[in-house]
Amino acid sequence: MNALIELKNITKTFDDQQILKGINLKIYENEFLTLLGPSGCGKTTTLRIIAGFDESDGGELLFDGIEISKQPPYKREVNTVFQKYALFPHLNVFDNIAFGLNIKKTEKSVVKQEVEKMLKLVGLSGFEKRDVTSLSGGQQQRVAIARALINKPKVLLLDEPLGALDAKLRKEMQFELKKIQKEVGITFIYVTHDQEEALSMSDTVVVMNDGYIQQIGTPTDVYNEPENRFVAQFIGESNIIEGTMIRDCLVAFDDFEFECVDKGFKENEEIEVVLRPEDIDIVAADKAKLTGTVTSIVFKGVHYEIMVQSKYRQYMIHTTDYHEVGLEVGLAFGPEDIHVMWKMV
Amino acid sequence: MKYFKSLVRPYLVWSFIVVLVPLFMIFLYAVTNSGNSLINIQFTLNNFGKFVEPVYLEVFINSIRLGLITVAICLVLGYSMAYIIARQKEKVQNFLILLVTIPMWINMLIRIYAWKSILEPLGLMHTDFAVMVGQICEFLPFMIIPIHTSLSKMDKSFVEAAYDLGANPVQTFFKVTFKLSIPGVLNGVIMVFLLSISTFMIPQILGGGQYMLIGNLIEKQFIEVGDWNFGSAVSLLLALIILFSIRWMKKIDKGEN
Repeated sequence: MNALIELKNITKTFDDQQILKGINLKIYENEFLTLLGPSGCGKTTTLRIIAGFDESDGGELLFDGIEISKQPPYKREVNTVFQKYALFPHLNVFDNIAFGLNIKKTEKSVVKQEVEKMLKLVGLSGFEKRDVTSLSGGQQQRVAIARALINKPKVLLLDEPLGALDAKLRKEMQFELKKIQKEVGITFIYVTHDQEEALSMSDTVVVMNDGYIQQIGTPTDVYNEPENRFVAQFIGESNIIEGTMIRDCLVAFDDFEFECVDKGFKENEEIEVVLRPEDIDIVAADKAKLTGTVTSIVFKGVHYEIMVQSKYRQYMIHTTDYHEVGLEVGLAFGPEDIHVMWKMV
Repeated sequence: MKYFKSLVRPYLVWSFIVVLVPLFMIFLYAVTNSGNSLINIQFTLNNFGKFVEPVYLEVFINSIRLGLITVAICLVLGYSMAYIIARQKEKVQNFLILLVTIPMWINMLIRIYAWKSILEPLGLMHTDFAVMVGQICEFLPFMIIPIHTSLSKMDKSFVEAAYDLGANPVQTFFKVTFKLSIPGVLNGVIMVFLLSISTFMIPQILGGGQYMLIGNLIEKQFIEVGDWNFGSAVSLLLALIILFSIRWMKKIDKGEN
């Protein structure tokens, strides 16, 4: 399959600070791709380069196989939903959504029909004459999406679009966005720093940090098979343990050897192991290799967060069972719960 | 809070003495005959009737025409300058705005005489052109500053959004940037119009004595002719013209949004 958008070794420097240090990325048709990372990691800059608001210093940007780095934004077949929506305050809802079509001198009757269709898609039928400044954050968001989608772009770019909404509305909009993406069947490139948002909506997650791509994969991949410490720590909670890969499917840490499912490392290579807190079971002390003492237990709603001090470190465990502080316990996990990753240099 | 509220009283007394009382006097002069004494006041509308005389009507029409031309030229020049300034980095912007305001620190008379010494050798004194140049140079900053303020405050993402939706730079300017700067434009237009319609120094010095505008007419009535009643009536009418033009502008502003 040919990539719709391809970034080849894209770099960008602002005021002597290198924001992007060589981004290589392929984006396919109908894909919901999320750029995920902490603030300042370069995710928004990447999006702005694709949109055409910023020009890269080096590298290639291919759209349908054609280099478009020098193309101004108004000639690109992408549309953007801005972080703060950027709805035109001097136009009402109808004229905001119709903006792109009016620029193209589309016939009035067609415009009317299309705007109505878009308003229906985003669930705002009947809002045509409303003043955009009188709308709630969630409604402005929908108008912004309709205003972008009416141009039938091949790619929709979304720059932290849910950032300004409250938690409940955010959940609703996540669901809605996914639904809209399926309905219109185009590529969404979504920028966020919220890992939960990224995992629940995307087909592909691109984890970025410090101007580099750390990992590209499906949500389950990046969660279950993080490639390095940064990804493991940024996405979900994790116990990260330094260890040695004895050979394929056998790893050693904290004085014991454990069977695992990871292959392809060198023999006796120094590696790091990720153990997700929910993958560790608390068992009787004599039933497991690793043992420790419960030092704290905090109720988190669905589960308890239990800290267990072992000989070398503290383990975090998420479980629905209650274990008293001071209790001597064993920590059990299966081979598939151990995720081995490259050590970060 | 109550304590602070009472601090406004001296100001109220002051503005009563220097604003309301003179205004009332002007009104009183405008609607009475000359030669009244305090006890024997004769009301009349004759002062206003004088306006329809062709001589005075022409003065009004000339003033408004000159005011409108000044506004139009200032708008084109001022908007371009404000637009260019607003696109610079913030430090450069502050410097350029400083440059725009520096001439205003110098006394207006000195600036007008400076123009005189430039225009005289060129043989351009006492022409429409001289008055125009003087007016535009005097009033341009009052156009640039409000427009610059509204342009520099504008969120850049509006322009990006317009580009994103397929508008080229020209379309973006007329459909978004200009529309969003209209409040600043209206403020500038009102200010320049007010200043140019009520000025009397510039037409007197650069236009020569024969150049008659509303401002000169008022000045003449008070200082040379001594007809305070007609002078007051003209002042009152000028104030009304200004008041209505502001209201009208504000209405356009609201209609736009």
